[in-house]
Amino acid sequence: MPRSLFATLTRPNGRPLLAALVLGAASHGYHLFRYPLYLTDEGIYVQQAWSVLRLGHLSPYTYFYDHAPGGWLVLAAWTGVLPGQFDTFGNAINTGRALMLVVHLCSVFLLFEIARRFSGSVTGAFVATLFFNLSPLAVFYQRQVLLDNLMVFWVLLSLYLIIKADNRITTALAAGLAFGMALVTKENAVFFGPVLAFLLYRRIRGRSNRRFAQGFWLFAGGVPVSFYLMYATLKNELLPSGFNFALDSPPEDHVSLLYTVWWQLNRTALGGNGFWEMMQDFWLPKDQLLLGGGAVATLILLVMGLAHRRRNEAQLVAGLLTVSYVVYLTRGSVLLEFYVLPLVPLLALNIGLVVGDAMERLPRLNGRDRVVKCVSVAALSGVLLTPLGGYLVVRGDQGQLQAHDMYRLRLTDLQESQLAWVRANVPPAAKVIIDDDIWPALHDNKPFYPFAHSHWKATADPDVRDKLFGRSWRNVDYVVMSNKMRIAMTKNNADGREDWILDALDNHSERVWHLTRGDVQLSVYRVDGTVAPADTSDQEEAQR
Amino acid sequence: MSALVLALLVIVSVVLTIQSSYTLYMMIYTWDQPEAERLARAPDSFAPPTLSFTVMLPARHEEEVIQQTIDNVVRANYPTNLLQVFVICRDDDQGTIDQALAKIDELQADGMDVVDVVVFDDLPINKPHGLNHALRFATGDVVTIFDAEDDIHPDIFDIVNTVMVRENVNVVQAGVQLMNYRSRWYSTLNVLEYFFWFKSRLHYHAKYGSIPLGGNTVFFGRGLLHRLGGWDETNLTEDADMGLRISQLGERVRVIYDDRYVTREETPPSLQHFIKQRTRWCQGFMQTLAKGTWKDMPTRMQRFLAFYTLAFPNVQAALGVYVPISLVMIVVLHAPVIVALFSYLPVLLLGAHFMIHVVGLYEFTEAHGLEASPLLVLKMAIAWFPYQMVLAFAALRALHRQLRGINNWEKTSHTGQHREAWDAVAADAA
Repeated sequence: MPRSLFATLTRPNGRPLLAALVLGAASHGYHLFRYPLYLTDEGIYVQQAWSVLRLGHLSPYTYFYDHAPGGWLVLAAWTGVLPGQFDTFGNAINTGRALMLVVHLCSVFLLFEIARRFSGSVTGAFVATLFFNLSPLAVFYQRQVLLDNLMVFWVLLSLYLIIKADNRITTALAAGLAFGMALVTKENAVFFGPVLAFLLYRRIRGRSNRRFAQGFWLFAGGVPVSFYLMYATLKNELLPSGFNFALDSPPEDHVSLLYTVWWQLNRTALGGNGFWEMMQDFWLPKDQLLLGGGAVATLILLVMGLAHRRRNEAQLVAGLLTVSYVVYLTRGSVLLEFYVLPLVPLLALNIGLVVGDAMERLPRLNGRDRVVKCVSVAALSGVLLTPLGGYLVVRGDQGQLQAHDMYRLRLTDLQESQLAWVRANVPPAAKVIIDDDIWPALHDNKPFYPFAHSHWKATADPDVRDKLFGRSWRNVDYVVMSNKMRIAMTKNNADGREDWILDALDNHSERVWHLTRGDVQLSVYRVDGTVAPADTSDQEEAQR
Repeated sequence: MSALVLALLVIVSVVLTIQSSYTLYMMIYTWDQPEAERLARAPDSFAPPTLSFTVMLPARHEEEVIQQTIDNVVRANYPTNLLQVFVICRDDDQGTIDQALAKIDELQADGMDVVDVVVFDDLPINKPHGLNHALRFATGDVVTIFDAEDDIHPDIFDIVNTVMVRENVNVVQAGVQLMNYRSRWYSTLNVLEYFFWFKSRLHYHAKYGSIPLGGNTVFFGRGLLHRLGGWDETNLTEDADMGLRISQLGERVRVIYDDRYVTREETPPSLQHFIKQRTRWCQGFMQTLAKGTWKDMPTRMQRFLAFYTLAFPNVQAALGVYVPISLVMIVVLHAPVIVALFSYLPVLLLGAHFMIHVVGLYEFTEAHGLEASPLLVLKMAIAWFPYQMVLAFAALRALHRQLRGINNWEKTSHTGQHREAWDAVAADAA
């Protein structure tokens, strides 16, 4: 255990932090491998970590700089030191999820300390971690192997180091390096940069080593980024060939980092999927308390911070960090539902700061204010955990009390059944179209399925699309899919690139395995040139 | 074969990165450690003058600057009766002797009779021999050395008296700073080397009790010098050698670097002189390394730090050879991306070094009421690589001389540029 963590836990007010860590371990650790479903993106990042370890490349396919590789390099390092590597926790994605649990606990520590230092209130810090640990938004997405979780950790670490008042240059350097790691983990961390720089400036103003602190923060932040740029330069993939940045005719002969960045900057959301749609469809149904309460808290902090910038610097910074990320979410680019992740700790922090501020304003009650604080936290916990808040216990269809789906449903069992069927019935040499969530299992565990590729790569990567499948259903043996994959294929088909797979599914295949539970539908199709007459196996289950 | 070369490139790159990071840390040590920064500052109040000082001014062909230096010393803010000043010359340097005697006459006319010229006529003709000769006549509690071109601060004796009396230490190294940062293409970088060395790195050495002392503005208890038998006359960096011998005894060395009280000096007047001076330092470090005093230091950290410092010129010489070879190897062998990325590590550290030089430039100029500008930073950037090559050349030259057994003293000449620079600033301020 690091000495500073040990010192923090053993000081008189260390018990709330310990409680927060235990709570985080329980809420995120329990059912970690069972809920939610393995996501396509989880499969992609684990697949790329697998490639780092097994192939020595950043991706098993052509790496086209869609994301900086910091996240899956960390994942590869984590897997590399484990005794059973990708199978340590049962399967590759579970092993990644175990890292997410570790990262979550580190983030809990950082969030607690940030909130405590910002507000001066242990109560406020505990409340912040209460939301961060229990919010369904948090538990749902933070269990998944997502770059955003790692990026959040690096940003929180950077923030923590900036406000650590030890007056040292090496701390500023470490803060810069952490921010640089955040940038090469997920590029949207750049939206936090100006506010972090502002906070650093405020914290070192007047110090004799301020110039060195500024210089090293900037320099260290640039180090991981410069490695990324250098990597692309050495591969001759920094600039597009012919300096061609035309979005309608991408350069053909090689990928380019700067072209991809340019393309992403200009990519706008198609047909909905904007911020408000995401809010309505995915985020609000999961947690109205955090989103609503966090929004109000953010407004309060901004008003406080803008009214007294010097006195309420922490409030201003916390509010601005949240606003920065909201600007990113609302700027009109493509959004995925888990993009809400970085907002979760910020909203939790803001609620904690407002609560902490309120607690500090309580009149002194002859030593009884401690009791008042404990009762307040207990009351809040009660609200959150009971059906009133719905974080732990909810009412079922019949009005009965039951645990939240996150702690009850065993959804990944369905995917494991699908995988088991594939292993039992599909020959390893078959050419299979899959979703990325089963990619690591089919490529890392014997028997290997070297010709199993996701529909994303089968429609975009020239080697897979043209050489292996020849863009024809005739070259496909099986399609292993889910209803979500079907939706993704339809959305990805604006230019007709998925037509030949959809043709295989709709006109030349038979469904040989199927499983339904609630709104989850998993299937396996054998492509054999005839229209599917009927299922040979059907294991539908009624939604529980 | 190529795999072996590539593996070697990776190993050397990693070693260089570690070495460069360590050097970088020592350069910013004082700014990083609030406690070290507090210790580096001069005392806020002075103790009553109690210690007497013998000031040694070794001078050879210093006609242009010696009178001003004598004047600065005797007119310091310290009781004259507690000062003894020796101008140390060889008998063949009549010009400097005449100038010193003329100054002595002038001071005697003002009632100040504390300066003498100490003349030696034997060999070798070098600084440590002159110092040892004069040490026999020293009577002060504390012996100190200033170079002939030094501009000392009037309060320097008060500061050292205070530190020695209050902290009961026998050795104090006070700050020395080159000032003429715009005189030559290499001046800015040379000035900053001093700035980082005295303001930061020496404090790190002092903390771990393994310190190569500077050649001037260094103060010793006279008894300690006698106990050590004076300076090593065969060593081209007798000051660094003295520091390590003192460290070996376990004697605590106090380092003070307060921008207000530094001794001001000048960069060498020409590239030729600069190379000669640097060659002498490198060769002196090589001699001290070979002498092996460092091996007898009590702790592992002391031995490591001494070895690291003394061996640095060898590393610098090797670097001068390694950099072009590694670049050629990367191109010729079509190094894989991962190897090339490892080779990029030392380049990043080079960037970090440049960055702290830029910051150091602004710190230095602000501390001394001077001015830095983006143009000067640009000039420094242009001079950066040639400067490193000059250092590497001097190191290689030192290695060549050492291997050939050539160890004569190549003297650096002084023209008082720092005084002109400082006078200009003072005039501007006025």
